[in-house]
Amino acid sequence: MSGVLIVAEHLQGRLRDVTRELVTAAGGLGGPLTVAVIARDPGPLAEAVNLSGVDEIVTVRVDSEEFEVDSSQAALEALVAERRPDVTLLGFTVNSMSFGPAVAAKLECGFASDVFGIAREGESIVATRAFYGSKVQAELEFPAGSPVILLLRPTAWSPAEGPGQATVTELQVSPRTARSRHLEFVEAPPSDVDITTSDFLLSIGRGIGERENIEQFAALAEKMGATLSVSRPIVDAGWMPSARQVGQSGKTVKPKVYLAFGISGAVQHLAGMKTSGTIIAINTDPEAAIFDVAHYGAVIDLFSVADELEKLF
Amino acid sequence: MKAVVCVKQVRTLGDEVEFTSDQRDVDPDFVELAVNEWDTYAVEEALRVKEAAGDGEVVVVTVGGDEAEEALRRCLAMGADRAIRIESVTSDVADPFTTARALAAVVGPEAPDLVFAGVQSSDSVQAATGTMLAELLDLPRVAVVTRLAYDHAGKRATVQRELEGGLIDVVEVDTPALLTIQTGINEPRYATLRAIKQANQQEIAVIDGSSDGAPAYRVRRMFVPPRGEGAEPLGDTPAVVAQRIAEIVKARLS
Amino acid sequence: MPATRQVFIGLSPPEIMAWYGLIVVSTAVFVWGASRLVMKYRRGRPEQLDHPWKRLEQMVETVFSHRWITRRDRLAGAGHVLVFYGFLLLFAGTAILGLDSDFTVPLFHWHFWQGGFFLGYKLVLDVAGLMLLAGLCTLATNRWIRRPERLDYQRPLPAVGDRDRSLYRLGDRVFVSTLVLLAVTGFLLEGLALAQARPSWAGWSPVGWVLMKLFILIGLDGSSAGVAHHAVWWIHGLAALSFVASIPFTKAVHMLAGPANVAVCNAQAGKELPGLPPDAEPSEVGYAFITDLSWKHLLSLDACTKCGKCTAACPAAAAGYPLSPRDLILDLREYAEGALGAHSALSLRPHDDPNQSVLGHPVRPETVWSCTQCMACVEICPVGIEHVPIINQMRRQLVEQGNMDALLQSTLETVYTSGNSFGEAKRKRGRWTDELAFGVKNIRKEPAELLWFVGDYASFDPRNQRVSRALAEILQHAGVDFGLLFDAERTAGCDVRRAGEEGLYATLAEENVKAISACEFQRIFSSDPHSYHTLKNEYPSFGGVWTVLHHSELLLELIESGRITPAVRLGYRVTYHDPCTLGRYNGVYDPPRRVLEAIGVDLHEMPRNRDNSLCCGAGGGRIWMKEQRVAGTRRVSEQRIDEAVEIGALDYFVVACPKDMTMYSDAVKTSGHEGEIEVRELAELVLESLGLPPVGEREAVSAATP
Repeated sequence: MSGVLIVAEHLQGRLRDVTRELVTAAGGLGGPLTVAVIARDPGPLAEAVNLSGVDEIVTVRVDSEEFEVDSSQAALEALVAERRPDVTLLGFTVNSMSFGPAVAAKLECGFASDVFGIAREGESIVATRAFYGSKVQAELEFPAGSPVILLLRPTAWSPAEGPGQATVTELQVSPRTARSRHLEFVEAPPSDVDITTSDFLLSIGRGIGERENIEQFAALAEKMGATLSVSRPIVDAGWMPSARQVGQSGKTVKPKVYLAFGISGAVQHLAGMKTSGTIIAINTDPEAAIFDVAHYGAVIDLFSVADELEKLF
Repeated sequence: MKAVVCVKQVRTLGDEVEFTSDQRDVDPDFVELAVNEWDTYAVEEALRVKEAAGDGEVVVVTVGGDEAEEALRRCLAMGADRAIRIESVTSDVADPFTTARALAAVVGPEAPDLVFAGVQSSDSVQAATGTMLAELLDLPRVAVVTRLAYDHAGKRATVQRELEGGLIDVVEVDTPALLTIQTGINEPRYATLRAIKQANQQEIAVIDGSSDGAPAYRVRRMFVPPRGEGAEPLGDTPAVVAQRIAEIVKARLS
Repeated sequence: MPATRQVFIGLSPPEIMAWYGLIVVSTAVFVWGASRLVMKYRRGRPEQLDHPWKRLEQMVETVFSHRWITRRDRLAGAGHVLVFYGFLLLFAGTAILGLDSDFTVPLFHWHFWQGGFFLGYKLVLDVAGLMLLAGLCTLATNRWIRRPERLDYQRPLPAVGDRDRSLYRLGDRVFVSTLVLLAVTGFLLEGLALAQARPSWAGWSPVGWVLMKLFILIGLDGSSAGVAHHAVWWIHGLAALSFVASIPFTKAVHMLAGPANVAVCNAQAGKELPGLPPDAEPSEVGYAFITDLSWKHLLSLDACTKCGKCTAACPAAAAGYPLSPRDLILDLREYAEGALGAHSALSLRPHDDPNQSVLGHPVRPETVWSCTQCMACVEICPVGIEHVPIINQMRRQLVEQGNMDALLQSTLETVYTSGNSFGEAKRKRGRWTDELAFGVKNIRKEPAELLWFVGDYASFDPRNQRVSRALAEILQHAGVDFGLLFDAERTAGCDVRRAGEEGLYATLAEENVKAISACEFQRIFSSDPHSYHTLKNEYPSFGGVWTVLHHSELLLELIESGRITPAVRLGYRVTYHDPCTLGRYNGVYDPPRRVLEAIGVDLHEMPRNRDNSLCCGAGGGRIWMKEQRVAGTRRVSEQRIDEAVEIGALDYFVVACPKDMTMYSDAVKTSGHEGEIEVRELAELVLESLGLPPVGEREAVSAATP
């Protein structure tokens, strides 16, 4: 049987956006589209995933309320064995990383992750992904005759919308001993700042150099009426709380104006802000990836621009 | 307590690149080599587990050619006890499946209590080799670990893993297990050149990494992506740039 | 009867016996103390003492000329000259007296201390006594009335656990008072003896003669004089013997340790740092324990007289960093005493553990990291203490432990992987030459007369690339045959070494020596003083022995030989900043000045210039570290610009070092003097004086022409 299988991704009872994006991606491949919902209570999630373009929804009940590696892997192995899809799509997410590649290894499938382009060429699939820090891209092909498992880059496709008319079936999967157990979640420490609601973000990255320089930009942000946000290295260094982090492992933001100082534009960061209204990037590196998504840019020293801006506000 | 750390010598490109004649990979002349950043955190974490346990062994393994030994020496200089290099099997861009199979053949017989790998490598960003290796060794695994508390006697570890959005998932995993380590989990110690040079005297076991089995993928074509229009330049001097920014901000927010 | 004096006049035989007994006691105490000091030094690491006779000769010259003591403080210098010679003569006088009365007379019946010799002796010693008193008064005036800041023992940045320094102040007073007492009682004895005996030759002791007249005037008769003489004799004698016994334990030890250190110290200290054997164990790297210090360094700690000239010259101290060179030396000294010295032997508190590292307490890592290795302290120290190598050794151990600034760590890693501190691809090293209208030779492929070792900042930093291009233009104009190493050049390593990463330095040196040795050339030059210094002075121990010039020396050569002739006399008002590595490290002060003279600028010297130049703050790897000033202090580079602006109406602040260019260009902006003064490099001015358009215009012209 041919067709595409998608594994729905969910967290704390809610369907994650990446699943809808996978539906859009699958649409370009043709053939029947099946979405698998692996959860303790798949019902509501199955409804949420019943989108235009989805032909079938298969639910698999598992014991654990939250994501758990062994049961997810067992479920996927059973699904692939039973449904035999040409292509299985998962999101390139922290959870999928834990079992997607494992299933590929076990069932000897073709595999690639962080894919942002897929196409069917006759019988085979061609995937496009980046290498070497996003400086180059490559087209990949997969061993003939084997199913392919791909982890797709979040936000590379737009989310599918509109209701569908998928049939819902259930698949029984014999439980596998869980060798790891979810204990609890720890929320990021609450903060009085919610960067996702601000219209204007002034964002700083590694390019600001030393911790002491944060103050200058924080003051500038206040003067300009912006909320200060940061990229990952600033949080990793312990200089700012993660509540201010923009990016895949931080917050996704969509302000009217996103003014970035000293941010190079790593893929994970861009994923968190590239849909902003107007993006202005200031960086001393002309090759910085952020200039690819920015509407306006300048290759110039950040501090001299900041000094000048201070005079204007 | 024995920990095995899988490290990778990654390739970094400058702002210029040319491709090999078959257009399937980057010309090595344009490539600089370095230890994968995630792996330095993994080695550091393994060293800390060993230090906390009081004794034990940290073994570092890599798949690569001669030039990959530099990465191993760096790890030995940090304090790893032994290093093994598995001779590269493919001239193609290394795919996670091939790498994982080569690693499994060596890591398995070592019978470690913990296997560490970086979450991903900075050049391939597949984030898959660790998980595939765990599957081939039939080890439980946790991906994207940001904190580790290892209970050797109880044969389990309590870890924190970082989900998207900053949410932390606290997981308990049976050991032996494989953990993929995220940056920021610790501060990797500095390896002095003196220590690196002395590590040059240490023997590195070289093992032939032949394996059958299809790769995960094959690169058909590699290319520099066409740049979009790019950002509109704002100006040459700080004063002009600042003025333009102010105008744009005022216009957009009104 | 020939003129002479009876020794022990008025003393009874038991008193004389007691006196000799006290001499024995005081000598024994002195010997015990001195031997404890020697034992303390022997606990340090071995170090070879080469050329002992030459060193002795040089020590005698240095000490007797007082060259090192009179610098930068004429008043104190003059005072010390008087005290030194006065004391020395008086000491020699006592020795002569003892020689006569205790040796030559009883053993050979030869009494030479009489007659003409005796009279001359009396005169000289009177003058000596006056010198001593005059000197002591001068020094006392300096210390307690003029009160220079450097003599304030208050620690610049006090911290918990610091030892109390108030005993030092007491010690100073006791020291001066004792010497004054000895001098005054000496004169009194003379006067009283003369008053009692009233010899005809009394005039040969002028001061004594005056006192004699005074005593006679107040009606002191012979026997009263005798009684007074007796009392004062014992005061003088006991004071003298106590003083001698106390020498190894008090400030007075500098009389021995000072000259000793002058003899053993290394002329190249700090300029040529010692290498590290490749098989060194972590514990053998640098200084962690007090016993890791070489015996020479342990000795030098005792030579310190707390004069504070080092701290007064230190740029880190001036900028509010937690470093005071004097306090560092004193902390180490106190620790050495407490752990290994007499204090520890006598179980006097505080007791320090020789098996505990000094890094942490009493020496804080941030103190060690604050140093820019500028050598201002070593340069000015009157007794030759080597603060810079001591700090460098401590850094080596801190690096070994990984205890360093995160930015420094990542820069060292970058230098290791990329071969330069900017993290740029090796291929891009020569890119600054692309904008030149002419091609530059690759000296790896074809021979050239001069090899230009460019250096990281001059290769990769945009502002400094302009300077490199200006220099290239000058050389091209002069028809100089030069070439670059291009991709093969690595960081020269001067700052890497001074930051304490000796292993990385050795790797860089080996790679550079290998690359350079494969080329054909006559001489090397660099516009970067750091590269210049280490290639010239430290690469020889890695097999690289060449003639190395700084570009200012090369420019001077070109001007003097007529290969370039300044066409325009630039009438600018400028000042010149001596870079530390060019000036203090290598003594190259004149060539840049003569170049400036030749191009017709009006040079106004900085108040602190030449060997007293104030470091910009970037050296020793500090440009790769976080600032850690106390809030409210001005950066040392800003202070320097303030100093320049004070001169008034200057057009340019001339530099001859890429890091100076970077630091001072920033400082002009951040010090609030933007528009009042501009930083310009020597080569840029020379280019202008040749009547050639500045580099920027050239590029525009060559771009415009089709």
